[in-house]
Amino acid sequence: MLIRNFLYYIKEAFCSIGRNGWMSFASISVVTITLLILGSFILLNLNVEHIANEIKEQVEIIARVDENCRPDEVEKIRVSLIQIAQVEEVRFVSKEEALERLKEQLGEFMEGYEQEHNPLRDSFEIRTINPEDVPAVAAEIKKIPGIAAVDYGAEVVDKLFRSTNVIQWVGFAFMIGLAGTAMALIANTIKLTVNARAKEIMIMKWVGATEWFIRWPFIFEGIILGTIGALIPSLILIYAYGEAFNWARMNLYFLPLVAPEQILMDLSKLLLLLGATIGALGSMLSMRRFLKV
Amino acid sequence: MIEIQNLNMVYPNGVKALKDINLTIERSEFVFVVGASGAGKSTLIRLMGREFLPTSGSIRVFNKDITRLRRREVPYYRRKIGVVFQDFRLLENRTVFENVAFAMQVVGASPRQIRRQVPEALEMVKLTGKAKRKARELSGGEQQRVCLARAIVNKPSLIIADEPTGNLDPETSREIVQLLEEINLRGATVIMATHDKEIVDSMRKRVITLSAGKIIRDEQRGVYQQHAH
Ligand SMILES: Nc1ncnc2c1ncn2[C@@H]1O[C@H](COP(=O)(O)OP(=O)(O)OP(=O)(O)O)[C@@H](O)[C@H]1O
Ligand SMILES: [Mg+2]
Repeated sequence: MLIRNFLYYIKEAFCSIGRNGWMSFASISVVTITLLILGSFILLNLNVEHIANEIKEQVEIIARVDENCRPDEVEKIRVSLIQIAQVEEVRFVSKEEALERLKEQLGEFMEGYEQEHNPLRDSFEIRTINPEDVPAVAAEIKKIPGIAAVDYGAEVVDKLFRSTNVIQWVGFAFMIGLAGTAMALIANTIKLTVNARAKEIMIMKWVGATEWFIRWPFIFEGIILGTIGALIPSLILIYAYGEAFNWARMNLYFLPLVAPEQILMDLSKLLLLLGATIGALGSMLSMRRFLKV
Repeated sequence: MIEIQNLNMVYPNGVKALKDINLTIERSEFVFVVGASGAGKSTLIRLMGREFLPTSGSIRVFNKDITRLRRREVPYYRRKIGVVFQDFRLLENRTVFENVAFAMQVVGASPRQIRRQVPEALEMVKLTGKAKRKARELSGGEQQRVCLARAIVNKPSLIIADEPTGNLDPETSREIVQLLEEINLRGATVIMATHDKEIVDSMRKRVITLSAGKIIRDEQRGVYQQHAH
């Protein structure tokens, strides 16, 4: 592409954006809104995933040992636990240790419960390599002789995995829909530009301009509209997410959010790329039929 | 230069606009195409500009059958011809200079070429003093001269014009045709469709008469025949 032509395309694109001020404004707004929703959704999604992963990390299986087990039997159970393939870590918690922990947590409530009247059982805390394996491993542990009860908050974990999946799929479909809408709107705007310049295009054809020469200014127009439309939500999200993150760190310190510097650069790049692509595709769409002469 | 063989044009609605046209036009000829309304003059001119394709037959221009051009070759063919329209087709909000320069810009001419060739073309049509005027501020005759300048600025060797004087008064029409004759004298082939008896009779050029899609007369140094049949 000649530099001269390139400059001409850019100049034409900006001129026509200026000439169709209101329509340009409208399509930039639509892209802005679309990408703002999209960007927020991506941030939300990333954080839900992040939180889910953190919670999954913390998921452990607690297996309680029957009171009547002798120490050598307890040791046998420990060995069988370690031998389960998906198990990463096994920790023995004696009933004495468990009582100490409870006392620490609950303080005076537990006064009176001394080691002689310890109502608790010995137990194992088991962590799996993959959080997803928890239910299967728990089922297996149940079958080991001498295990009285197995706990892992079955429902919480199952629901968590299922709902994060659903959220991701719904989000994905939603994003595709939004991007399509933005593209159609840009196509419409460019179509107006194309129509407004029908005469110019006709003259261009008669004096021998190639189809691509005629197309490029419109493609640049789309790209410029899309990019401006992406720049605004990028800036808004960079600012707003930073603020939200700081607020959450002060007020919801237990919530593990994704740090801004980890995602915002990539997110803005993605939004700008999407904006430009939506713009370019939109303008191609609007010109497909028009150029036949 | 132009060789048309067995040309037929049937529009999609079934109208037979041209029937078995055979025609040869030599380099540097000046040709009038005349005939009653609906005779097929515009159809012939538009086919030469490769606006659409004929139903059958061939149109050889510069030794190439333009009915067989590929889509992407059409722009390069159009650069070798100049087209003059009855309704001028100027960009009203742009200056005379810009309108003529436009034809060069869009085919990738350099600013240097543009600065050299546009004034030449404007001088040719005697509009040098009005280069900075907006197209919409000009009279009909002046606008048609801008259209002429635009058609010749890329130095085509063939000019086609469909009723270029159709919207002009007799005096202005004469000026335009005189300009076309000058362009012709400098070497370009000119083909002009017209209704204008006075002009055709005063010029004594080759006259091709169409009637109901057929060539019924083709005379060197001819005149307009009112009730041709
Ligand atoms: N686009 C079209 N679709 C269908 N029929 C057409 C089309 N253009 C022209 N015709 C028909 O083809 C025939 C020839 O038309 P054409 O425009 O070539 O005549 P013309 O000689 O230029 O007439 P005029 O002097 O009025 O300009 C006419 O019957 C006309 O109605
Ligand atoms: Mg006509």
